[in-house]
Amino acid sequence: MEHYDLAVVGAGPAGLSAAIEAAGAGMGVVVFDENAKPGGQLFKQIHKFFGSKEHKAKTRGFQIGRELLEEARAVGVKAELNSAVVAVYGNRELAVSQGEKIKRVKSDAIIIATGASENMTPFEGWTLPGVIGAGAAQTLMNLHGVMPGKRVLMLGSGNVGLVVSYQLLQAGCQVVAVADIARTIGGYGVHASKIARCGVPFYLSHTIIKAQGDGKVENVIIGETDAKRELIPGTERCFEADTVCVAVGLSPMSQLLGQAGCRMVNEPQKGGFVPKVNEYGETDIKGIYAAGDVSGIEEASAAMIEGRISGAAAANAAGFMPDGEFKARFEECETSLAQLRRGMFAPGRKGAEQSETDEGIPLSRALLSKGYIDENELSAFPGFRDCSALSETYPVIECTQNIPCNPCQDVCPKGCIHVGNDITALPVLNPKASCSACGMCVAACSGQAIFLVQPHYEPGYALVTIPYEFFPLPQKGDKGTALSRSGEALCPAQVVDVRDAKALDNTRLLSIKVPSSHLNRARFFVKGDFANG
Amino acid sequence: MRIKEHPVLGIPEKGKAVSFYFDGDIFSGYEEEPIAAALRAAGVLVHRHTSRRNEPRGIFCAIGRCTDCVMIVDGEPNVRTCITPLKEGMRVQTQYGVSAVPEGGDANGTL
Repeated sequence: MEHYDLAVVGAGPAGLSAAIEAAGAGMGVVVFDENAKPGGQLFKQIHKFFGSKEHKAKTRGFQIGRELLEEARAVGVKAELNSAVVAVYGNRELAVSQGEKIKRVKSDAIIIATGASENMTPFEGWTLPGVIGAGAAQTLMNLHGVMPGKRVLMLGSGNVGLVVSYQLLQAGCQVVAVADIARTIGGYGVHASKIARCGVPFYLSHTIIKAQGDGKVENVIIGETDAKRELIPGTERCFEADTVCVAVGLSPMSQLLGQAGCRMVNEPQKGGFVPKVNEYGETDIKGIYAAGDVSGIEEASAAMIEGRISGAAAANAAGFMPDGEFKARFEECETSLAQLRRGMFAPGRKGAEQSETDEGIPLSRALLSKGYIDENELSAFPGFRDCSALSETYPVIECTQNIPCNPCQDVCPKGCIHVGNDITALPVLNPKASCSACGMCVAACSGQAIFLVQPHYEPGYALVTIPYEFFPLPQKGDKGTALSRSGEALCPAQVVDVRDAKALDNTRLLSIKVPSSHLNRARFFVKGDFANG
Repeated sequence: MRIKEHPVLGIPEKGKAVSFYFDGDIFSGYEEEPIAAALRAAGVLVHRHTSRRNEPRGIFCAIGRCTDCVMIVDGEPNVRTCITPLKEGMRVQTQYGVSAVPEGGDANGTL
C-alpha cells in the first residue's frame, strides 16, 4: 500500500497551504483533488482580496492561486488530480477513486480541506435551465470565458452574491436586481456600492416567488416580505431575465470527517456540521486535521492561514518541525488570523444586528438597504472631508464599515491615509499630508471605495478620479454621463485622463470632468449623452 | 455569449477550434473546454429531460457535483458535460431519462 507522511484532501487554498507548510518542513506530502486542475475556487476569484500585505491583500484571487501552485511545486508537493477521496478511516487510511479504480493509501497524518458546497433554496421553477448557482456563473465566465446569461437576477446579497454580480457586469451581462429575504445587505457595503453605482437595484426583504418560461427561464417574479418573512400580497414584481443566480450561502463539505468518526457539531455560525477541532485544526482523532471552509465558512484568506497552521502542526507532531520553530510559526499565523477575524463581519458577529462602527459612528442605513451611502451620511466618517475650498487634489475614502483591510495606508507614498495596527479600523485622512494624486490608493482599495477629487480643475469644473474595471474602456476625450452612487444619471461628464499601469493591476483610473456642484456625487461614468439618457 | 476580451482576465485562453455534433447538427467550440460551456456559448440551455415528468434540465452547479447537466456523449449516457472536455467530432445528444430516445418520439440517435 502507498504510504505518505501526510495526505491532504483538497487542493484549494487551505489544502495547498497545508501541503506547502508540511512539505517545506521535509514531510512527504500528497494532495488529492477530484478536479482536473488544482486551486479549488481560487482561480474563479478575480477580485482583489482584502486584509493586509501578509494576507496578500490587493492581490486578485487567481494570482494568489498561481503563487500557491508555484510554492507547492518548489517544495515538492505531489498532487494527484482527478482523484476523489471517497473514504477516510480512523486508522488514517484513505480510499481514492481514480478512473475506474479505487486505491487505498496509508498516511501518518491527514488534513481534510474539502471546502464547502453551495446552499440552494427551492422555489417554483428552480429546476428550469437558467437557474444556476453563483459558483456556476463564476465558473462559466471566469474560467471558460462564456457569459452565463444576458439578464441575470441575483438571489442573495452576501459577499458571494455581491462579488459575482460585479463579475457578471465585468463579463458583459446585465444584472437586473439583487434580491434577498434579509432586511439588510449581508456582504460588505463596499461590494454593494460597486454594483449600485452601475445602476443595479437592491430588493431587500424580498423573496423569489417563481422563475418561469417555456423550457428555460424567461422571467422571474419576486415579492416583498413582512417581518415574519411572509409574502405581502400585491407586492409582486416581474423581471425579464434569462438567468437566476442563487447565492444563498455555503455549507462545509465535512462528510469525510464525519465518516472517519471525528466528533462533529452543528454550528450554524460556521455554516453547518463541522468537526470539533483544537487550535491547530486537529480533530478528536489524533493525526486527522481539518482546515479551511470545511471547519467553518470564512474567506479564502483565513482558509490559507488555517492550512498553514494544520500543516505546521502535522509536521511538528511527526518530528519534522522543532517545537520552537513550530511555536513561532503558530503564533505568527494566529496573529494574522486574529486580524482577519475582527470587525463587523467577524465570524462571531455574523447575522447580528449592528448599528454603529467600532469607532461609534452610526452605520449608513442607506448602505445596508440600498447598497449605497447617502451623501449626507458621509461627513460622519473619517475618510471623508468636504474640501470644496481646497485648491489641491485629495482622496475621498467612502469606507464606512469595519472590514479587515489596509492597502490604502500601505500604498500612499505621502502618508495621507492612516488605518493603524488594527486593520479593521476605518481609514482616517491626515489633514496635514498633501496628496500627490498618484491614484495608487484608488487602485489598491479592494472595495473600490476611494476617489480622488480636484475641486478646481477648471473654472466651474471639478475632476473626479474613479476606479474602472469594465470594457470597453472609455478613452481620453470621451463625452458621457456621470452617475451617482445609486447609478442615477447626474450630469454631463468628459474623460480627461485614463491611467493604466502594471501597478494598478487592471483597475484603470478614469479622471472625469464634472460641474463643481457634483464633485461629491459623481462616482461612475458611462458613455452616452446625458440629455438623451 | 463568448467574452471577447475581459477587463481583468484579458482574452480568454482557448484550445483550438473544433466541431462537434449536437443532436445531429454541427456545432463549434474549443478543444478542452467543458462541453457545457460550448453549448451555453451556442445558446443551448436544455441538456436533458427527466424520465418521469419530462422536465427540462440544464447547467446548475457547473463543477460536476449536481449531475443536472448530464447528456449522452459518444453513446455513453449520464456524462457530466460541465466537467467533460470537448473533443473534435464528439457526438453530444440530449438525454431523455437515461436514453437518447424521447418517449414516443423519434430518435436523433440510438444507444
